[in-house]
Amino acid sequence: MSKLQERASANKWSSMGGKKPPSVGTILRTTFLLAMTFVILAPVLWFVLSSFKDATDLGARPPKILPTRWAFENYTEAFQMYNYTRYFMNSVFVTSVATVLTLLINSMAAYAFAKYNFRGRDGLFVMTLAMIMIPLQVILIPIYLVVSSLGLVNTYWGMIIPAAATPTGVFIIRQYMLTIPDELIEAARIDGAGEFRIFARIVLPLCRPALAVVAIFSILWRWNDFLWPLLIAQKEELYTLPVALALLNGQLVVPYNIVLAMSVMSIIPVLFMFVFMQRQIVQGIAQTGIK
Amino acid sequence: MPYLFVAPNMLIFITFIIWPAIRGFQISFYDSIDGRTFTPVGTGNYKAIFGDPTVAEVAKNTAIYVVFYVIISTLLSIAFALIVNEQKFAKGFFRAILFLPVMLSPIVVGLIWNDVLDRKVGPLNALLQAIGGGSPGWLVEPKLGMMAVIFVGVWVHLGFYSIILLAGLQGIDRSLLEAAAMDGATRPQIIRTIILPLLKPTTLVILILATIHGFQSFDFIYTLTGGGPLGATTLIVQYIYDRAFQTPIQYGLGSAAGVILFMIIFAFTALNFLLGKKREAI
Repeated sequence: MSKLQERASANKWSSMGGKKPPSVGTILRTTFLLAMTFVILAPVLWFVLSSFKDATDLGARPPKILPTRWAFENYTEAFQMYNYTRYFMNSVFVTSVATVLTLLINSMAAYAFAKYNFRGRDGLFVMTLAMIMIPLQVILIPIYLVVSSLGLVNTYWGMIIPAAATPTGVFIIRQYMLTIPDELIEAARIDGAGEFRIFARIVLPLCRPALAVVAIFSILWRWNDFLWPLLIAQKEELYTLPVALALLNGQLVVPYNIVLAMSVMSIIPVLFMFVFMQRQIVQGIAQTGIK
Repeated sequence: MPYLFVAPNMLIFITFIIWPAIRGFQISFYDSIDGRTFTPVGTGNYKAIFGDPTVAEVAKNTAIYVVFYVIISTLLSIAFALIVNEQKFAKGFFRAILFLPVMLSPIVVGLIWNDVLDRKVGPLNALLQAIGGGSPGWLVEPKLGMMAVIFVGVWVHLGFYSIILLAGLQGIDRSLLEAAAMDGATRPQIIRTIILPLLKPTTLVILILATIHGFQSFDFIYTLTGGGPLGATTLIVQYIYDRAFQTPIQYGLGSAAGVILFMIIFAFTALNFLLGKKREAI
């Protein structure tokens, strides 16, 4: 904070510095933010606590904050009696393969747009960006008909491939590649390196920061994605976590306390990313406005 | 060689976006209950959309949701961005908390609030009763259901918009604020006369993004209300989904609704793009 601003606030808002009591503004702000913290954290904490309650506690009126008995069996049964492992592995598989594929094909396209001159380049680039205007929601029915005619319904590839090319991914990586000097690529060509080799060995390693952003967003999005896997995974053995949670919640086959335990476990990887990669995510959003 | 590099992406775009988009437009002039046999109906589906009371209900729900969602999200995200920006104590912590819901799976968010808002065993009503209130059926009464969906929609995305606005705030020239402070302007005056006007372009982006997101809302509603009670929170995307997977199955009608949704989203994306161009020119 600049001295001038401090002086200004000292004039009008009473002092911030030294051992003097905090200003009215600070108290109001902090109170407001604490209220916000409560509205955001309390439901999540309530939900986590619920996942440790047994059926009796879950039906208690008035509801109990803490479980009378910590029902850890909600968690063990999710593995032992229900297919949590399967859903979890499906999510891991789809998320990781899709992210690798997205990084590969998006950076390939980005490389062509950033470092080659070819007929139709600008047209194809504009076309790529224009894909933002056609989100899945608007072509839900025809895309479902297309993937089913291609035999991709109820396959992992059906979940992975159709959404692997992303306009924003291409855009982020291309912008970054523009900053790589052409001389570097020229020099490699003179040394006799093949085009794909130059891309894979020289350009890609230099784009690590951009690739990291695209990877983080891809992981987050794929892990939480619901509508697309809902269309494709119609067999229970292919359910990803969000699909499993949404569909099991509507059935009576899986008890609610088990659904709760599964939900809590499903957000743990994301909370991990939240703690360790928040900076990159926040910067990515601030720069591109995507999520 | 460059063609080989762009080929995989382009192939996917053509097969899974452009081709379905064209097909969707075609199908919107047909009637089909199985996705295999198509009966031409001319503009019948569009007429149905503008005449059918069920669709009118969906359109009304979507309009109410989008309007409230956009207004509340925009105002609150400005407020939160300003407050977090001014905050000195534990700023990073509060920003992180604000951002937490953005990362959670919308499906889980729906489950969380479904749990919290439960009429009988939910903590919110327990709290209300403890302070002498009633126990409203948040997810049982149509009007309250819509309120709940709007609230949770805002809860989920607020951090996202606030982050963009915070970036906008950081982009404001410090020297302007310092000059104003030197001239004796109070902090509220500075916010009103300098910061908010300078934040206008970013605010516009938020308005447009929120509108697009609002029209696309589906996931968290699926587990929060499932479109109920009595269809009161069925929005356009769920309507489209239902036309392919719930009776009455009507691929043509759903595709026509998709075409209309596309036109809405196209208009707002184009607006965003044009305004972006204008921003760059300045």
